[in-house]
Amino acid sequence: MPNKNGNAYGLTVLCPLKNDSEDDQSYAAIVRRKLRELPLDEESPLAAVPETYLCRMFVLDDVFYEGDPAGEDHLKSKYLVLVVELHGERDAWLRAMWTHAQDCIQKLWKYCIAFQDVRSADDWVAYIGRCQVDTTFYFMGSTDEPLAEQLKALYLKQELAHFALEHQGVKDPAALQRSFQDFLARVQPDNLSGPTWRAGASSLETAVVGGRT
Amino acid sequence: MSNIAGKAYAMNLVTPLAKLTVWANKAVFWAVGTRYFAPRLDGLLTLSMIHYARWVILRDKDFPRLSVEQPKEKLKYGYMMFFSNFNGSWEQYVDSFSAAIPAGLDLLWRKNVGWPTAVPEQPFHRYVEFNQVWTDYYYNAYPMAASNDVKAAKRVKERLRKMVLDTERASPTQFLAQYHAMLKDLQADLGPMDATPIVSLAAEDIAARKRVKTLSQQREDTKAAVLSMRMQSGLATDPSANPSNTNAGESKSA
Repeated sequence: MPNKNGNAYGLTVLCPLKNDSEDDQSYAAIVRRKLRELPLDEESPLAAVPETYLCRMFVLDDVFYEGDPAGEDHLKSKYLVLVVELHGERDAWLRAMWTHAQDCIQKLWKYCIAFQDVRSADDWVAYIGRCQVDTTFYFMGSTDEPLAEQLKALYLKQELAHFALEHQGVKDPAALQRSFQDFLARVQPDNLSGPTWRAGASSLETAVVGGRT
Repeated sequence: MSNIAGKAYAMNLVTPLAKLTVWANKAVFWAVGTRYFAPRLDGLLTLSMIHYARWVILRDKDFPRLSVEQPKEKLKYGYMMFFSNFNGSWEQYVDSFSAAIPAGLDLLWRKNVGWPTAVPEQPFHRYVEFNQVWTDYYYNAYPMAASNDVKAAKRVKERLRKMVLDTERASPTQFLAQYHAMLKDLQADLGPMDATPIVSLAAEDIAARKRVKTLSQQREDTKAAVLSMRMQSGLATDPSANPSNTNAGESKSA
């Protein structure tokens, strides 16, 4: 299936915007402004949606004219484009988005055709299904582990790097072993819920959930 | 505009291709998924700066139409959409592509209208720049990590878990040998991560957005603190009781 590569799913969605305006602003302009006002990084509504690796949104106004001798082409509708890299299955992710980012959905998609009929997670899944376009080729240059595993791994990598640095030149094997056991007790390598990195964390000061940096 | 989220850059390209070549181009993508043509894209893995990338080829009838009131798309061309999440600057990425997999790029884009070939670089730069759609919002689950960090972290996690099992009942001497072996295995994977430096106007724009937000939050915090102090000292009893004072405080802190 071209939308998947391993356990990574590439969701591509084109939602047609209503051809209308509000206070002298087109819906496309309003949606673009609202997109640019959304909180970033750990405060993003997408940070609350489990299994979201990366997500982008933009308004596609039109296609490009390549100049003579090419012909001129224009789209008849403008589209809110949603492109997501996620772990697992599409429907489960969309349901989670409905649960955890519904304010964001309502704020943006109310300008889209047919969204007025979306009132539940089931409706949302069906609506996005109608707007989805299939990927032709999906390349994965990263890993396809669950996001919680990726975030825990990044936390462990950072902590182990610091441990190795702080214990360079320790001569006493028993002392090093005790320090390492303390380290393991603190970082809990198998505990995905914490300490770990927060989804969307943009600074080391606020990255760790459930432990020290 | 928000093409950047931490160390990741979101690129969107929308390029036309002759309708008759849509199926041929789809066949090319099918072929690069096979063993015979896959080496053409090996450079993508070698570049190792890409988190995920995808190509989507559409004809006018593939554009979603959700009601009879929505006009049907009627386009002269098919369209290829390319979405990439990569690390580094726009120039680094575009130049790396051009240098590492020019044959692969020519194979994938050769049927696109106006495609100049991947080499020389200047016409290729112009083509990418002209057909790029700016991202309005971009979220990244790990802004401080490059794709290489995510892959390295997986190796670190697995090796660390193995170390735990291997040293459960180890003597201090055995532990030391295992510890050194682990560090040797992970020596290329332990570079520490941090917030991304501001290396472009786009990143600066995002930093400015955060600064504005922080200042606005500070103003709110100051207002709340002043109000709280006044209430404690009996100068005010209700936030709406003396709005002129509150406004005066706001204009000062602004």
